[in-house]
Amino acid sequence: MYNLIRFILQHHLFLLFLLLEILCFYLIYRNNPYNQVAYLQTANRVNGTLYNAYASIIGYFQLRSVNDSLVHENLRLREQLAESKYNDYLHSGQVSDSTHKWVQHYTYIAAQVIYNTLNRPVNYIYLNKGSKHGIKNQMGVISANGVVGQVVSVTENYAAVMSILSKNFKVSAKLLRTEYFGNISWDGYSTTHVNLEQIAKHVPVKVGDTLVTSGYSYLFPQNIMIGTVSNVNLEPEKNMLDIRVKLSEDLGKLTYVYVVNNLRKEELVRLDTLVNAAQLKP
Amino acid sequence: MISHIPSILLRFILLLLSQVLIISNINFSTYVNPYVYPLFVLLLPFEMSRLALMMAGMLSGFALDIFLGSIGMHAAAGLALGYFRPLLIKLITPTGTEFEVSPNIYAQGTTWFIIYCGTATLLYLLFYFILEEVTLRNVLHLLLKVILSTLVSVIFMILFVYLFSSRRKKRFA
Repeated sequence: MYNLIRFILQHHLFLLFLLLEILCFYLIYRNNPYNQVAYLQTANRVNGTLYNAYASIIGYFQLRSVNDSLVHENLRLREQLAESKYNDYLHSGQVSDSTHKWVQHYTYIAAQVIYNTLNRPVNYIYLNKGSKHGIKNQMGVISANGVVGQVVSVTENYAAVMSILSKNFKVSAKLLRTEYFGNISWDGYSTTHVNLEQIAKHVPVKVGDTLVTSGYSYLFPQNIMIGTVSNVNLEPEKNMLDIRVKLSEDLGKLTYVYVVNNLRKEELVRLDTLVNAAQLKP
Repeated sequence: MISHIPSILLRFILLLLSQVLIISNINFSTYVNPYVYPLFVLLLPFEMSRLALMMAGMLSGFALDIFLGSIGMHAAAGLALGYFRPLLIKLITPTGTEFEVSPNIYAQGTTWFIIYCGTATLLYLLFYFILEEVTLRNVLHLLLKVILSTLVSVIFMILFVYLFSSRRKKRFA
């Protein structure tokens, strides 16, 4: 007993060091990316105010490039107006009320990026819009040039988005030319490229093929640009192709984004629970 | 010791702001992820006890964690830095050297200071990046990241020291 006390007294600093490190590890464990959402919710308020002030200063320096991207965005929207669209409803022999021909499926909420990281295993983007403006958890986020990420936490005035450059972020994607679909995942290092997984060997993939969202999730509408194939690798041992994709959006230059509001999400979730319930029955 | 507290607090705020608002926003590459922040622990007075260094390291790290959303990671790395700082100073300093009140680029010389910051930051970032990655899957990537980040960090640290410290040795804490 005496020896034990002497040992503790002699090494009390080292023991305290170990104890505090264990406390820190516990904090890290509690706040790993899956639980980090909870933390962000409280910290958002403090950080949001600071980053917002910062973004309002920096914003002036980016006006020119922002204007350019807004012009392009306007151009793209103009192309989507009713005049520039072909409505083939009547050709398929269906008769429908003209007011119900195009039912709104997605609405968008524009937001400004006030904080953005690129160099961590899980990267977050903070937006200056929150629940007050209609943003909810688990909404997709896109920009004029492509997919950006997914909302993971919301406060009254701010929202945190897990970007596509995050190790645990997965999005379903399809090759526009051949319609084959796979999953997008990030290796944790390149800020301009991601990997396309689960494309079988027999699929003809060419460098330069366009990759868009498949619309198989609640997050994004169909055919939102993700990037272009930059490299295809065929490894003899594997059944799947090794595909590198160059992102169409430069996530380091992000300023304005659109949060996707899927108006049919509740219905899809309901369908999901019905399917799950049906599977459980014998 | 008491007389140093205002300048230590001021330096803490300056380092926190420059880390959060400028350096963490650089996003130059995933391999270059510099931190000027360990300088806070590195510049604390020599006379501070090891316990005080550990506490300062952990609490300042925790403050940074709050802003960067990495709860616990910088606290753990800062704590380790505080614990190992006396050992490091003993290792890299020739015996019989006379010390100022606190580590100082003018008093100890540029070479000593770069070696001091370099080794400390290398250890700090190695510890931090391992915590951040959790896995040791990409050891080569990790080492490259640690080395490149350390180099850039030290450049920023020297810049910071030249910008924000007065040449008069006694006033500088």
